[in-house]
Amino acid sequence: MSPSFFLIVLLGLASFAYMQGKRRAFRLASSESDTTNLHSRPGYYGMLTALWCVLPALIIFSFWMMFSGTVLTTLALRTLPDAIQNIPQDQVNLLVNELHNLIAGHVAARDIDPVLQLAAEQYLGMERISRIALAVVMFAVALFFSTLIYRRITPRLRARNHVERIIQVGLMLCSGLAVLTTIGIVVSVMFESIRFFQHVPVTDFLFGLKWSPQMAMRADQAGSSGSFGAIPILAGTFMISGIALSVAVPIGLMSAIYLSEYAAPKVRSCAKPVMEILAGVPTVVYGFFAALVVAPFIRNSGEMLGLSVSSESALAAGLVMGVMIIPFISSLSDDVITAVPQAMRDGSYGLGATKSETIKNVIIPAALPGIVGGVLLAASRAIGETMIVVMAAGLSANLTANPLQAVTTVTVQIVTLLVGDQEFDSPKTLVAFALGLLLFLITLVLNVIALYVVRKYREEYE
Amino acid sequence: MLKKGLVFAAAASLAVSAVSSAYAASGRDYISVVGSSTVYPFATTVAEQFGKTTKFKTPKIESTGSGGGMKLFCAASGVNSPDITNASRRIKYSEYEKCQKNGVKKITEVKIGYDGIVLANSKEVAPVAFSKKDIFLALAKDVPDPNGSEKLVANPYKTWKEVNPALPDVKIEVLGPPPTSGTRDAFVELAMEGGCKEIGWIKALKKKDQQQFKSVCHTVREDGAYVEAGENDNLIVQKLTANPKAFGIFGFSYLDQNGDKIQGSNVGGVSPTFENIAAGKYPVSRPLYFYVKNSHVGVVPGMAEFLQEFTSEKAWGADGYLSDKGLIPMPEAERKKFAADVKKLKPLVLTK
Amino acid sequence: MQSQKKETSMDKMNIGLAKRYRKERRFRLFGLAAVFASITFLGILFISIAANGWTAFQQSEILLDIHFDPAEFDVDNLSSANYGALVKNSMRSLFPEVKGRSDKRNLYRLTSSGAAYILQDMVMKDSGIIGSTKQIWLPADDEVDMFMKGYISRDVAESDRRLNDKQISWMDTLVAEKRLEKKLNTTFLTAGDSREPELAGIRGAVVGSLFTLAVTLLLSFPIGVATAVYLEEFAPRNKWTDLVEVNINNLSAVPSIVFGLLGLAVFLNVFGMPRSAPLVGGLVLTLMTLPTIIIASRAALKSVPPSIREAALGVGASKMQAITHHILPLALPGMMTGTIIGMAQALGETAPLLMIGMVAFIVDVPGSVIDPSTVLPVQIYLWADSPERAFVERTSAAIMVLLAFLISMNAIAVFLRRKCERRW
Repeated sequence: MSPSFFLIVLLGLASFAYMQGKRRAFRLASSESDTTNLHSRPGYYGMLTALWCVLPALIIFSFWMMFSGTVLTTLALRTLPDAIQNIPQDQVNLLVNELHNLIAGHVAARDIDPVLQLAAEQYLGMERISRIALAVVMFAVALFFSTLIYRRITPRLRARNHVERIIQVGLMLCSGLAVLTTIGIVVSVMFESIRFFQHVPVTDFLFGLKWSPQMAMRADQAGSSGSFGAIPILAGTFMISGIALSVAVPIGLMSAIYLSEYAAPKVRSCAKPVMEILAGVPTVVYGFFAALVVAPFIRNSGEMLGLSVSSESALAAGLVMGVMIIPFISSLSDDVITAVPQAMRDGSYGLGATKSETIKNVIIPAALPGIVGGVLLAASRAIGETMIVVMAAGLSANLTANPLQAVTTVTVQIVTLLVGDQEFDSPKTLVAFALGLLLFLITLVLNVIALYVVRKYREEYE
Repeated sequence: MLKKGLVFAAAASLAVSAVSSAYAASGRDYISVVGSSTVYPFATTVAEQFGKTTKFKTPKIESTGSGGGMKLFCAASGVNSPDITNASRRIKYSEYEKCQKNGVKKITEVKIGYDGIVLANSKEVAPVAFSKKDIFLALAKDVPDPNGSEKLVANPYKTWKEVNPALPDVKIEVLGPPPTSGTRDAFVELAMEGGCKEIGWIKALKKKDQQQFKSVCHTVREDGAYVEAGENDNLIVQKLTANPKAFGIFGFSYLDQNGDKIQGSNVGGVSPTFENIAAGKYPVSRPLYFYVKNSHVGVVPGMAEFLQEFTSEKAWGADGYLSDKGLIPMPEAERKKFAADVKKLKPLVLTK
Repeated sequence: MQSQKKETSMDKMNIGLAKRYRKERRFRLFGLAAVFASITFLGILFISIAANGWTAFQQSEILLDIHFDPAEFDVDNLSSANYGALVKNSMRSLFPEVKGRSDKRNLYRLTSSGAAYILQDMVMKDSGIIGSTKQIWLPADDEVDMFMKGYISRDVAESDRRLNDKQISWMDTLVAEKRLEKKLNTTFLTAGDSREPELAGIRGAVVGSLFTLAVTLLLSFPIGVATAVYLEEFAPRNKWTDLVEVNINNLSAVPSIVFGLLGLAVFLNVFGMPRSAPLVGGLVLTLMTLPTIIIASRAALKSVPPSIREAALGVGASKMQAITHHILPLALPGMMTGTIIGMAQALGETAPLLMIGMVAFIVDVPGSVIDPSTVLPVQIYLWADSPERAFVERTSAAIMVLLAFLISMNAIAVFLRRKCERRW
C-alpha cells in the first residue's frame, strides 16, 4: 500500500462521484430530455461532487507528504536513550542519516547499533500506522464532502457557478506559480549574494569598471577591490544581445510579414515550421558553429579589410545568436499578424492602398503589441543565452564599444564561476550569485518599462 | 476544453507526486561520484570497466568542477550525498573543515596520477622552445622593467621576439582556461611562478613578502594577449588549427589525441611527451585526486570493489588502461602507498 | 483646360502608382529574402552537421574466428572467463608472425575492448556455443575506425599518429582479406554512454530526454494555459496582476542556469528529491519554459476577435463557457506554437541540468523518471569535450538525432495546427 496507490483510488472515487452527481441531476430534471428546470447542465452537478471529493482529500494528502517524514523521524529519535538525545545538532544529523539508511535497508554487513535498529523498527511501525491513518482520514473526508454535496443537489443549486469559481481559483493559483518561482530564485540567490557583499562593497560591484576574478581576495592585497566590477560584463551582454536583435528583428519581422501576407498557403505551411526548427537547434551546436565557422570567417574578412579582429569577436557570437532568435520573433509576429481581422485589410485595399502600404500603415500598428511581445521574448532569450557565448565570445571582460573585440557576458561568467575548480565559498564563486541577482533586477526593470509601453499602446481591433 | 485541461493537470500533478512519494522510501544501489571535469574521463573509464566486469551497477559520475564537487561531497553523509568526489587539486583546509563540521569525518585521499599541462600550437608552424621565464614574461600582468631596474611595469611585450630574441616574431596570443579553472591554477603555479623565481630580486621578495610575491607571479595579464577561452579543450585545439599564430594551454590527453594537428612546445628544454611527464622531467604537471567517504564503504553496494578496481595496476599502472586515456601514472612506490591507504581507508588529517 | 488638368493629375498618379508598385515589389522581395536567409542558414547548419556526423552511423568491424575453448570456461561461473583472451587468441592466429610483447599489444589494440563483452553476452545467452568455433564480426578500436574513415592520414609522421606503421600494415592485410569492413553502426542507437567511442550510444540519453520532456510537457502546458487564461480573461487590473505579469516576463529573461540553482535549492535540498533524475530535470525545465508558453498563449488569446466572445455571451453562455467552448479552441494553434517553441528550448537545454546533477556519465538506460539519467544535449556537450577524436563524429551524429526529434515534434505540431488554424 504505497501512498501513490491512494491517489489512484481517489481518482477512481472522483469519477464515481461525478457519475453519481450527474445521475442525480438527471433524476431531478423534469424529464430525461428536458433539463431546463435545472439551474446548470447536469455535468456541472457531477463536476461539483467530484471536485469536493478530491480537493479536501488532496490537501490532507499533501500535508501528510510534507510533514510525515519529519514528524516520524522526531518520534523515532525520541525512543532513543536520553544520552544520545543530548548530543550536539550536527551529530543528530548523522544519526538521522544512519537511521534513514537503516530504514531504506541500505546497510550491508555492518555492525548495527541495536538501539538504532530498535528506533528504525519503531519508525517503520509508526510509518505503517500513519499510512493507514492517512488512508482512513483521506477517504472519510472524500466521502463526507461528496455525500454532503450529493445530498444538497437540487434543481436550484447553482452548480455551474460553484464549479466555475473553483476553476477560477485554480487558474489564479497557477498564475501565482510565477511569483513563487521568482521568490524561489531571489531567495536561493540572495543568501550567497549577501555573503559576497560582505567581502566586496556593493558600490564596487555595481560601478566597478574592471572585472577580473583571478585575484584571491585578501585584505592586504593592493588594488583587489576593483576587480569585481560588473560594468564590463554588463556592457558585453548588452552589446551581444544588441547585435543579435539587429539581425533577428528585421529578418524575423520581414519573414513573418512575407509568410502571412504574401506567401501561398503551401509555402507558408512549409516555411514556418522549418524556421521554427532554428529555435530548437541546441545552443551547443550554434556555439560550435559560431566558434569554428563564423568567427574565423569574420576574422579573415576583417584582416583583408585591414581591421584587427579578435578571434572571439562579439560580432560572431551576436550574429549566430541573432539567427537563433529569428523564430521567436517571426513565429509570434506571424501569429499576431494573421490574427489582425481581414476587415481591416479589406478597408485599406478599398481605399486603394497597395499591399505593402496596408502592411506598413494598418497591419503593423494593429499587431504592434504582439510584435513587441515577441521581440521582448527574443531579447530575454538573448540576454539569458549561455552556450553560444561561452564557446564563441570567450571570457575576456573588455569594456569596449567595438564589436570586433572579444567581450564576455553575465551568463558566461556565472557558468564558468560555478563549474570551476575553486572552493565554493570564496568570493570568486559567490560573485556568480551576485551576478545572477543583478541580471534578475535589470531584466525586472526592463520588463516593467516594457509592460507600461505595451499597455499604453495596446489597441483592440475588431 | 478547459475542464479537460484541468483534469489533465490534476492527473499529471498526481502522477508526479505519486512518483516522488514512491521514491521517498527507496534508497540508492549505485555509487555516486561528483567532481572535476579533468578527472572525469579517467573516472568514467574505470566506472565503465567496473560496471561491465562486476555484478554491480555502473557508478554515476557527474562533472561538476572540483569546487562544486567538494561542496556536494562535504554537505552531508548519507544516501543523498555523493560517495566520492574527484578533484584536480588537493582538498583545501576550508573545505576539509566544512566536511568535518557537516559530519563527514573520515575521508580518504587517493592520488590517481598526473596530468601534464601543455603549451601547444598548430603543426603548420615550427615548434617552439620556451623557458619558464619566457612564459612568465610573456603572460604576467606586471613584469620587471625591461631596462633592468628592480621595478614592476605593466607588461610591455607585444610579440614573442620582444620577450626573447630566440622566439619567433609573432604576436603573443595564448588561449587558456579562465581563473576559475584548476588547470589555470596549476599552470600559473608551476610555469609562471617557476619563471618568476628565475628573476633574482623577485625571488628575494618571496622571503620578505610572501603575499606580494604571489600577486606578482600569479597574476595573468588582461590586455588581450592571454585569451580566456573557456574550459572546452577540444575547442581550443580547433581554434589553434584555425589560427596558427596562437598558442593554447590544455591537458596532455588532448595533445595526445591530436598529434597530427598540433604540437607541444618544449618548456625548460623538455618536450611534453608521455615518458617525460611520467618521469617527472616535464615541469608543468599536476596531481589528480579523488576523495572517498569512509562511512559509505560497505554501505553503498560496490564501494570497496570500485576502489579496488581504480587502484589496481590494471587501471592506473604504467601499462594500465588509464594511461591509454592520457593519465600519467605515478611512480610505483607512490602507487603502492595509495593502494594501501585505500585498502585501510586511512582517514585524511589536514592541519591549517 | 479642366480635362487637361485632370489628365496631368492622372498622369501624376500613374507615375506615383508605378513608384508605389516598385516599392511594393521591393518590399515583397525583402520578405522573400528574409525567409530565404533563415532557411539558407538552417541548410548550411544541417549540411555541416550531417557532413561531420553521417560517418558515425558506420562502424569498422573485424571478422574474427573465435574458438570458444572449453578450457577457458568454468561451467558454474561463466562470467569469470577471460573473454579478452579469446579475442587475443584469434588475432594471434591471424597474424602468427607477430612476436614480441609490444607488437602483440599493438595488434590486440586493433580490436575494441568491447569485443570481450560481446562474447560474454553471447555465451551468457547460449552456453551451448562453448567448444565451437564461430566467425563473428567484432567492433574495431576507435583509432582503426578513424583511420578507415579517412580522418587520420597515412602521410603524417609515425610519431604523430596514434596508429603506428605496423598496425596500418596489419589493417591493410585485414582489409585485403575482407576481414575489416565498415558496417552499419547499430550500437550507436541501442547502447548507453561509454568511454570507448566505438561502444558509445545515445539510447540512454534519448530515453532520459523523453522522460524529462514528458514531465515538462505534462506540467507546463496545462499550467501555462491556465495562467494565460486567468491573466487574459479573469484577472482584475490591480497590483497583484501587474506583479504576476512583470514576473512572468522577467522569468523568461532569467538565465537558465539560475533555474538550476533554484532546482538545487528547492527540489533537491528542501524536498529531498533524487539527484540526476528526469523528474527534477522536468520540474526545473517546466519552470523555465512556463514563461514562454504563457506569453505565447496570451498572445493567442488576445488575437481571438472579441466578436466571438460577445456572440457566446449574447446567447447566454457564462464567461467560463464562452472561454472553454469558443475562445480556447480558437486560440489553441497559437498556444501550441508557443508550447512547441518552449519544448524545443527545453529539449536543447544544458545549463540548468548541470546544477541538479544531470551532466553525468550514465551507462545504464533509465527505466523511470527517478532513475539517474542524462539528456541528449548534455550527452552532446560531454562528448564534445572528450579528447578521443572519434567522439567528434559521434557528437555530430547525436546532434542529427536530436534534430530528427525536433523535426518530428514540429511535424506533429504542424499537423495539429493545420487542423484548426483559421483567419478572420
